[in-house]
Amino acid sequence: MSTNLLALLPELVLTITGVLVMVLEPVIPAGKSRKPLGWLAILGSLLSGLAAFYQLQIVNAQGTLTAFYSTIQIDPFSIFFHLLIAAVVLVTLLGSLDYFESPITHAGEYFALVLFGAVGMMFMTSSVELLMVFIGLEISSISTYILAGFRKGRATASESSIKYFLLGSFATAFFLYGVALIYGATGSTSIGPIAAGLAITRTPTMAILAVAMVLIGLGFKVSAAPFHVWTPDVYQGAPAPVVGLMSTAPKAAAFAVLLRFLFNGTPMLHGHWILLIEILAVASMCLGNLGALKQHDVKRLLAYSSIAHAGYLLVAFTGTHQNAVAGACFYTATYAAMNVGAFLVLSQLSGFSERIRSIEDFTGLALKRPGMSALLGFFLLSLIGIPFTGGFFGKFYVFSGALQNGHVWLGIVGLANSGVACFYYLRLLAAIYSRPTSDSVAYIPVRKVTAPAAVALAATALATLGLGILPNKLVHLVERATPTTTAAVAVQPTQQ
Amino acid sequence: MQTHYIWQYIPLVLQILVALAMAGGMVAASFFIGKHKRTKVKLGAYECGMDPVGDARGRFSVKFYMVAMLFILFDVEAVFIMPWAVIYRQLHTITGQRLFGFWEMVVYLGFVAVGLFYVWKKGILDWTNTSSRGDL
Amino acid sequence: MLAYTIYISFFGALVVLLMPKGSRMAIRTVALLCAIAGFALALTAFVQHGTGELTTVALAPWIPSLGIHYHLAADGITLCLVLLTGVVAIAGVLFSWNIEQRVNEFFAFYLLLIGSVYGVFLSYDLFLLFVFYEIVIVPKYFLIAIWGSTRREYGAMKLAIYSFVGSAMVLVGLIAAYVVAGSHSMDLAALASYRYPLHFQMWAFPLVFTGFAILAGLWPFHTWAPTGHVAAPTAASMLLAGVVMKLGAYGCLRVAMTLFPLGLSSWGFHVLGFGSWRDVFAVLAVIGILYGALVALVQSDFKFVIGYSSVSHMGFILLGLMTLNQIGITGAVVQMISHGLLAGLLFGVVGRMLYDRTHTRELGKLGPMNLSRALPFATVTFVLAGMASMGLPGFSGFVAELMILIGAWRVSPLLAIGVGLGIVTGVAYVWRAMQKAFFAEATTIIDPHPPAPITLPEKLGTGLLLASSIAVGLYPQMVLRLIAPALNTPLFSGLHGGGW
Repeated sequence: MSTNLLALLPELVLTITGVLVMVLEPVIPAGKSRKPLGWLAILGSLLSGLAAFYQLQIVNAQGTLTAFYSTIQIDPFSIFFHLLIAAVVLVTLLGSLDYFESPITHAGEYFALVLFGAVGMMFMTSSVELLMVFIGLEISSISTYILAGFRKGRATASESSIKYFLLGSFATAFFLYGVALIYGATGSTSIGPIAAGLAITRTPTMAILAVAMVLIGLGFKVSAAPFHVWTPDVYQGAPAPVVGLMSTAPKAAAFAVLLRFLFNGTPMLHGHWILLIEILAVASMCLGNLGALKQHDVKRLLAYSSIAHAGYLLVAFTGTHQNAVAGACFYTATYAAMNVGAFLVLSQLSGFSERIRSIEDFTGLALKRPGMSALLGFFLLSLIGIPFTGGFFGKFYVFSGALQNGHVWLGIVGLANSGVACFYYLRLLAAIYSRPTSDSVAYIPVRKVTAPAAVALAATALATLGLGILPNKLVHLVERATPTTTAAVAVQPTQQ
Repeated sequence: MQTHYIWQYIPLVLQILVALAMAGGMVAASFFIGKHKRTKVKLGAYECGMDPVGDARGRFSVKFYMVAMLFILFDVEAVFIMPWAVIYRQLHTITGQRLFGFWEMVVYLGFVAVGLFYVWKKGILDWTNTSSRGDL
Repeated sequence: MLAYTIYISFFGALVVLLMPKGSRMAIRTVALLCAIAGFALALTAFVQHGTGELTTVALAPWIPSLGIHYHLAADGITLCLVLLTGVVAIAGVLFSWNIEQRVNEFFAFYLLLIGSVYGVFLSYDLFLLFVFYEIVIVPKYFLIAIWGSTRREYGAMKLAIYSFVGSAMVLVGLIAAYVVAGSHSMDLAALASYRYPLHFQMWAFPLVFTGFAILAGLWPFHTWAPTGHVAAPTAASMLLAGVVMKLGAYGCLRVAMTLFPLGLSSWGFHVLGFGSWRDVFAVLAVIGILYGALVALVQSDFKFVIGYSSVSHMGFILLGLMTLNQIGITGAVVQMISHGLLAGLLFGVVGRMLYDRTHTRELGKLGPMNLSRALPFATVTFVLAGMASMGLPGFSGFVAELMILIGAWRVSPLLAIGVGLGIVTGVAYVWRAMQKAFFAEATTIIDPHPPAPITLPEKLGTGLLLASSIAVGLYPQMVLRLIAPALNTPLFSGLHGGGW
């Protein structure tokens, strides 16, 4: 197999399965269950995870792989994100298998779109060329735009999709503009030559503007304040498993791009962008947590919480290069585990109809659904950052990285925020545990948790627990994941 | 004496001027020479057969949009074949393999064909059948 | 062996959770057995341990790349507090024998709480200590929010938020200490032996000390304590006042003061008469003593009286720590033990013996019920416990308060006068509550539904707590022999200064 194809192996597997699912979809007669397509998609995501593992073996043996004129770089960093994305997609698909109550004719497209989105995200994490990143970004975004509106016929779903699409395209335009400016300033759109170009550039202002533009574009994707306003509306209208997916995997990919771009591409401008990152981090943490205080809809509440968590993640960027990569990687992994888990519980509680949605609906859930309540409670505790959950160690890791680099006040702001945050998570927990059962819980028939969903829930719960109790393995992995700028960037098709 | 590089743009400026003159001349000529019958349709804005002024909530078939979208998609896909064809003869020196470029295009067209198949099976090309599953 | 106190409690929590819902008696028995097992282990270690020196209980690498170890160790102070936890844990189970609603979950949370408390006392690695310290919040919150009474969700939420904010402050300080010392180790001894720069200690000390002291009820951050205690079910308020508040005081002594001893030194200038953080916290502690006592004096809710008395007594502990001399700090540790026993007992009397029978805690309503005749056991218990908490000789409270008083006198007679006033007010509020609840003018109407008699588990729990308090009161050497050597280990060497 040529190196080019090997470097794209996980993406190729996903693309082929995705196309297969898409082609088979209209062939299956209307009214028939789309579950086999779901299983096919699950197989695909599993295989792509294995492919990423295979890449890891090769990278461990032979060192970093590059492909397509060095625009793709497979190193432990990109493989980490490939594995993470494959895992999130796998769990989401398992949880979505029985999410559709009646066989909906277009359910096959759902599975295909999830796979296509994953292709884009994986592509983002392994590209070291900003235009390639842009292509990945678009592939993943367009898939998620459609997925956000998948509960057709509901006003909130249409709002979700349209809002996400319009604001998302706007943000990608910012990103593209940033890429154009960086090309103007350095003469290249590749990470390595950008760094080299910045060293000799005489137009740093243009480069700073470019970095700011890229930050805006990606800040939107990770829902960092002040580019967060779309988040609550989109999450509210989108199907719960999709929210679990789109609040973790695309964010992880965008953070991966940011890590590469900022630390490998524009280290010269560290003094400039660190300030922007700090502003984004503080704003996200504060606005996210304060916004969540007043929410009644649980999905909106978790949306604000995801804004706050984007802020915590950005705090990681204030560490040294190695600390930032390790902290951000660890935190994305734990956040993925707990947030996907929380949304899976929501999706399993009331299915496609999503009738259990406000905090009032959740009151007394523990009496009727003790198992689901315990799981949701566990994920919420992890989101708060209680020890023995991944959330705690993630926070500890991120903030110790920031403090190591002297950002004491950022640490204080962040941890004060987790004090605020505990209020709204506990409010939900109090409703679930300490009050009598609400009407909505009492009269909505109990949805049986099917085997695939149970596997998905167990996987997320175990991952959250495991990352909290034995974080050692992952810490060891992410500490070696710092990406380097490979020397093989000599071939530059974009340069004259 | 070295000429300023801006002079290299002279042909472009001339081209623009000629184009403007041609277009303006034709419009002016038809205005002066042609007959004028002012009907409502002729004075209306040209908007793909739809009345541009009226109730914003007017109904029309979603199929218009479907077809327009498909046209754009396949059009853009076809555009990619153009640069490929232009450098096809040099492709083997770039890729290092004789037929690599050829197979690349086959794969690409395969994807286009899959898309067409999907659209077809979904019943979007079926303009008349009301029971089609065009529920994209 | 001491490490098994933690494992048995956690394992017991799991077992209790998985037991069938109906088997209340079996669940209680399992919980009781777990508590007794923990107590037995603690007692064995307490008796066997001769010197009070530090001994390692368990040591294993946890996250080696960050220098974090699973390190459990015990010195004299730890042993005393672990034993206290064992005693209060047994009494708590006995006093919650009448829990009928969601028994599995109740005792699961209860044992989880106990296990984490053991964990905090035994941890010798700061990361581990913080892990246990924060886990405590979760069962505490649920115990109050689910099984509590008056404004339970409010009380639980307030307590949780105060705890989280406090632990966030602690975490910032700990990470800063870890980073400044070179990010090699989270081990307490390693960090305590590192010489932090003075200016660093000057901000890290108040941060960490306040963070811990919030949980110890430091005025003005004490307001979570009375509401939390009042809202909590009996067993939870026993644990809360008995051991959880001690965690805060323990953290102040064990972490803040050993890591940043220079933070207590003089600022070099005076603001409003305060010349150091030590002055600030000492004065706050005295204000806490007086404020808690005075507020307790005017409460109409019996549980609020006890709740505020806890704030007052915790003030003694913080003041004892701030004396920075051996007798004062020893007194503070003895006061931790004494208050742990007595607050547990008082909450047991008010919450279990009275409230569960009369369904009121209003002093004005309890008075006419003629309780001294209807519930003589409760009356005697309260009188004894009240006298003990006033600091009558023969009880543990006397030893503790005397030592703190002497320690404070050595620092400043003014502080000692404040403490003395606090003790006098203490007599007053106990007297008033006793008078109003038990010995008020009885009405002539005979209650058609006399309260149920005191049950055996209650009597056993009362006996255990009272006996422990009297034991410490009559033979303080029992704990002093362990505390004094512990304070002279190298860990506390940073504190050994002028008045030691």
